[in-house]
Amino acid sequence: MKSDQPPVDHNIGRKHFCPTRMRRTILEMAYAGSTVHIGCAFSIVELISVLYRNYLRYPENNPDAEGRDYLVLSKGHGVMAQYACMHELGWISDEQIKGYFADGSELKGLSDSRVRGLEVTSGSLGHGFSVGVGIAMGLKRRGTDQKVYAILGDGELNEGAVWEGVLVAAHHDLDNLMLIVDQNGFQAMGSTEEILKLGDLDDKFQSFGFQTAEVDGHDEVEIDTAISKLWAERTGKPKALVARTVKGKGVPFMESDNRWHYTRLTEDTFAQAVEALKTSRDQL
Amino acid sequence: MREAFSNVLVQLARQDNRVLLLTGDHGYALFDEFRKSCPTQYINAGIAEQNMVGMAAGLAGLGYRPFVYGLAAFVPVRVIEQIKLDVAHDDRQVVFLGDGAGFVYSHLGTSHQSTEDISCTRAIPGLEILSPCDRHEMVSCLNYAYNRRRSVYLRMGKSDRGDVHSAPIAVLEPGRLLKVRSGHPDRPAIIATGSMVRTALDISNDIDATVWSAPILKPLNAADVCYASSSAACVVTIEEHSIYGGLGSIIAEILSEHAPARVLRIGVNDRFSSYCGSYQYLLGEHGLDLPSIRSKIMSYVKV
Repeated sequence: MKSDQPPVDHNIGRKHFCPTRMRRTILEMAYAGSTVHIGCAFSIVELISVLYRNYLRYPENNPDAEGRDYLVLSKGHGVMAQYACMHELGWISDEQIKGYFADGSELKGLSDSRVRGLEVTSGSLGHGFSVGVGIAMGLKRRGTDQKVYAILGDGELNEGAVWEGVLVAAHHDLDNLMLIVDQNGFQAMGSTEEILKLGDLDDKFQSFGFQTAEVDGHDEVEIDTAISKLWAERTGKPKALVARTVKGKGVPFMESDNRWHYTRLTEDTFAQAVEALKTSRDQL
Repeated sequence: MREAFSNVLVQLARQDNRVLLLTGDHGYALFDEFRKSCPTQYINAGIAEQNMVGMAAGLAGLGYRPFVYGLAAFVPVRVIEQIKLDVAHDDRQVVFLGDGAGFVYSHLGTSHQSTEDISCTRAIPGLEILSPCDRHEMVSCLNYAYNRRRSVYLRMGKSDRGDVHSAPIAVLEPGRLLKVRSGHPDRPAIIATGSMVRTALDISNDIDATVWSAPILKPLNAADVCYASSSAACVVTIEEHSIYGGLGSIIAEILSEHAPARVLRIGVNDRFSSYCGSYQYLLGEHGLDLPSIRSKIMSYVKV
């Protein structure tokens, strides 16, 4: 357990939030719904699994608990990874996974705040982070030790509103807020390098007054250690975790192939992807 | 009107410490009293309106009661998507205060003028729209906004037009029109909002028109509008806002569906300001000065 936090009390052990099983869930959803954004979900699987397993506190396993920590999925395109976690927690049923995108179903293709367990309506980028800044500010006013995590895509950092929020978070010393960048190097139409250069993100966030760390976004131990260390160092600054990731991670033919931002699975590619997952090292 | 605004805001903040005032670095002396009385409830969010609205959504989700202030050109127009997605979608209890609506900033040009804010906001599901005409309506509207369990946009236009109502308004009920002058049933009924209610009153003596104020633009009672129309020769709407999507559109939509009637919409036509000058000058440029409005009504009534 983290040194500066009460234990995570959903009482689900390490066997849960297994990245391979989460990717399998994502594939099942994507195939059932004939939907896109698989690569966007795959790149945050380890990040989000570490958060749910080790950090996010939901008293009595209640997604609406007043004392909960907040996970703001600002890059709403990765929502299937969050659904997979919510499935692990029992908040989403097998039927909802199998019935993804069925007429009249609740789970949408982007994060939607009306779904229990999701905090923001995102997908229009540059929105969620600001809501997270407001939550962090409100929690500090309350004087509780609740935390806010906001996952942003690197492409999302094109949005000016993000940098408004970054300034405000630093100005108000929101040290209960952690901005996590899923730096997979791609956005909708190509690489971030060719579309809009971001420069050195760690330097950028430091210069904006954040306390930062860089990690391999697919190494759970490294992620866990970095988050733990960021919280432990009481600098009074908001935190930024820059996670180097691979878009489409976990299925070799999807990795760093940006077509999996917008390509739908066929019967064949679904079978191939499931097969590819079986060779993963963290197979249960 | 601005003093009434400040007083009510301070009063609400004093009685409810969940009330927070967020400003996008605007307001100047308007907030002197608030800052003095409730300094910890005042947040200058910087010249960063998009983030300010997202923050307000986050704060409201925790039970705080944000009042988000900006010039109407920025709040709500610049941040319309944040209002839609982050606030209105969840019926967050956030009150948006758009100041200087219409041509208040007559010398500053189009960037600070706002004649499209009602159109922009009224299609957002659940978002209510208020447009007080004097200090009495301002007091009622602010209290009304505070008590609503959803998102509200309060439009503040020219604030020194003088009183319309002679006394405080007892209760402001959702959707109600307020009769401010009784005229002859063979003459037009004028329905106006905000700064133009005073103008409507000034004109009404000449033509013996009944004058209604619409402090609540959304929701607006169809029955009230039909009643106003049924007891007059025709309906004239006056607003310091585009004729597309504002009060005139609202009234015309209601009447065409429930009780077809002739409606003359007086407001800002499909054009930006070309020149600068005094507030009165700008009203004249847009045909919203007294002589222009009077002649529009007279020629419409004659037809």
